[in-house]
Amino acid sequence: MKFGIFFELSTPKPWRPDSEYQVYMNALEQAQLADELGFDQIWAVEHHFLEEYSHCSAPEVFLTAVAMRTKRARIGHGVVLCLPPFNHPIRIAERAAALDIVSGGRLEFGTGRSATWTELGGFGVDPDMTKEMWDECVRVIPKMWTQEAFGYQGKFLSMPPRNVIPKPYQKPHPPMWVAVTSPETAIQAAERGLGLLGVSVGTPREYEERVNEYRRRIRECEPVGEFVNEQVNGVTFMYVDESEEEARYWGSQLVRAFAALAAQFPAVSAIYPTPLYKVPGLLFGLRREQEKAQERAEATAAGTPGQGARSGPIREGMAIGDPETVIKQMKLWEALGMDRMVFLLNMGEAIPQEKVLKSLRLFAEHVMPKFDREAPAAKASAKPAAGAQKSTP
Amino acid sequence: MPDYGWLEQEKLPHALPLAAPSYPPPPWPLPGARFLRVTFETEREALLRWLPPSLMRPVPPYAQILVAHYPESPVGPFSLAVQSLGARARLLVRSYSFEAVTDSQQALLALREQWGFPCRLGEVELRAAQGEAEARIRVAGRTVAAIALREGRVIEPEPPPYVAMAQIDPAYTIHEAWRGRAEVSYPEPSEGAPWHLVPFRGPIIAVHAVADTELPYARFIVPFQT
Repeated sequence: MKFGIFFELSTPKPWRPDSEYQVYMNALEQAQLADELGFDQIWAVEHHFLEEYSHCSAPEVFLTAVAMRTKRARIGHGVVLCLPPFNHPIRIAERAAALDIVSGGRLEFGTGRSATWTELGGFGVDPDMTKEMWDECVRVIPKMWTQEAFGYQGKFLSMPPRNVIPKPYQKPHPPMWVAVTSPETAIQAAERGLGLLGVSVGTPREYEERVNEYRRRIRECEPVGEFVNEQVNGVTFMYVDESEEEARYWGSQLVRAFAALAAQFPAVSAIYPTPLYKVPGLLFGLRREQEKAQERAEATAAGTPGQGARSGPIREGMAIGDPETVIKQMKLWEALGMDRMVFLLNMGEAIPQEKVLKSLRLFAEHVMPKFDREAPAAKASAKPAAGAQKSTP
Repeated sequence: MPDYGWLEQEKLPHALPLAAPSYPPPPWPLPGARFLRVTFETEREALLRWLPPSLMRPVPPYAQILVAHYPESPVGPFSLAVQSLGARARLLVRSYSFEAVTDSQQALLALREQWGFPCRLGEVELRAAQGEAEARIRVAGRTVAAIALREGRVIEPEPPPYVAMAQIDPAYTIHEAWRGRAEVSYPEPSEGAPWHLVPFRGPIIAVHAVADTELPYARFIVPFQT
């Protein structure tokens, strides 16, 4: 199992003239160190209008800076909101290809469709249309990358034959992923041969069924790209310290900051009745977990034992604790067959920068060596889909 | 030894509120209810001005107007209109009732005292047919708010968060539901019933539904000030 990091570029109030600059610079320093320490992917999200929570609305620019400061880590562009009113598919293909080139062929391309009314309403997107828009985008973008004269007549995109350039540095094209927040999306990821850019909402045990279903379905997929990207990433929070007590204190700050900032934004599923948003998405899923954690913490304080060995806002599966604790938690994900865990390091600048850097170093020094980062995941299917090749990023 | 009174609790004078409230206690079963709810974007300042310090505003700021007609209830048929502000209490999605109108004197006290609706007496009219729905709310002869659903289409009658009254969290069994474009206006602003202080700054969605529901005990209460 491998390890990566991801950035929301969360910028808390009160805002000073240099608040966003400082957040970006801290993130770049973290990315550079993570690359040197052996973290193998560095992702940046795309969000719009989610003030304080994420000021990462132009991730391709941020990731270009990451690419220039790193040598080995793969550059995770994702998820790109594949909705034409947000991003025209031609521009998505062009920007991603350029990022692949300047990173020397290190691009991982994540796709998604947003889950907040804040974003969809801001761009005037009908929530009912997002699934179709996303589907059309993920089918045309790899063709733009690989065909010299790509023309198309679709529902959301029509264009006469043109050569969309530049072409990606990786051939035939970078690995493609989709953000998965529900069992339905996991199946859709598998059916399209896309990597499962998953979320660790729930404990590893709760997540097992979704991963198994993905592994089973992808064996019979019809990939939208030129190859099948059978990989499963999970995300969770990370803070490692020599002292378990210190780690839990700062880890709790991180988790609580995430939950408090995410609480501001209305999920589509909460106010807009559509079958396309039956579940609230990553941001809200993680928040809901924190609500449950709060209830557990209150129950514990009242003398009722909490669920599982962990309590307060820290849940089973989070990379929060001293190195021994974190190794145990990561072993749970490894046993599940995850290819990689990707960590959120800070939120609302709740943890001082020097502590975030120290946490990265401790993880690399004590936790990483306990995992085989070359071998395929324990339960991963080794068989490529018929007519397609399996990716080897 | 002093002499103590002989009165037993069950024989308390009937007028004492504790022994004989003027309305039945929760839960109130409300079968066959008809709802029209519009959700719309409003102004940040409007929300911050009217939310108590223990609640925070969502981004973007939004509000809702729910108009409901209950053909059966423990106090007979009544209608209720509630204007609420989108809010967050700690991490929880909630809404804060800002204005409310009912057309039933019997329901009024219970809605105010038992569930905390800032209710006043008025007229509530709800009409729905063929994918369109309209409601008008009148207080002292003035139409303080009018809402509508246009170009409606049928949606799945599954358990919907979108018709729930957030503080109350009632259960719903939906029989039919439509969804469409939301319209909100305040034709005759009134200082006595200031619905217009929550301006309409763009539609999100309108929903019309027919459902069996109930008003249970309010289960989410936060202090006014944190």
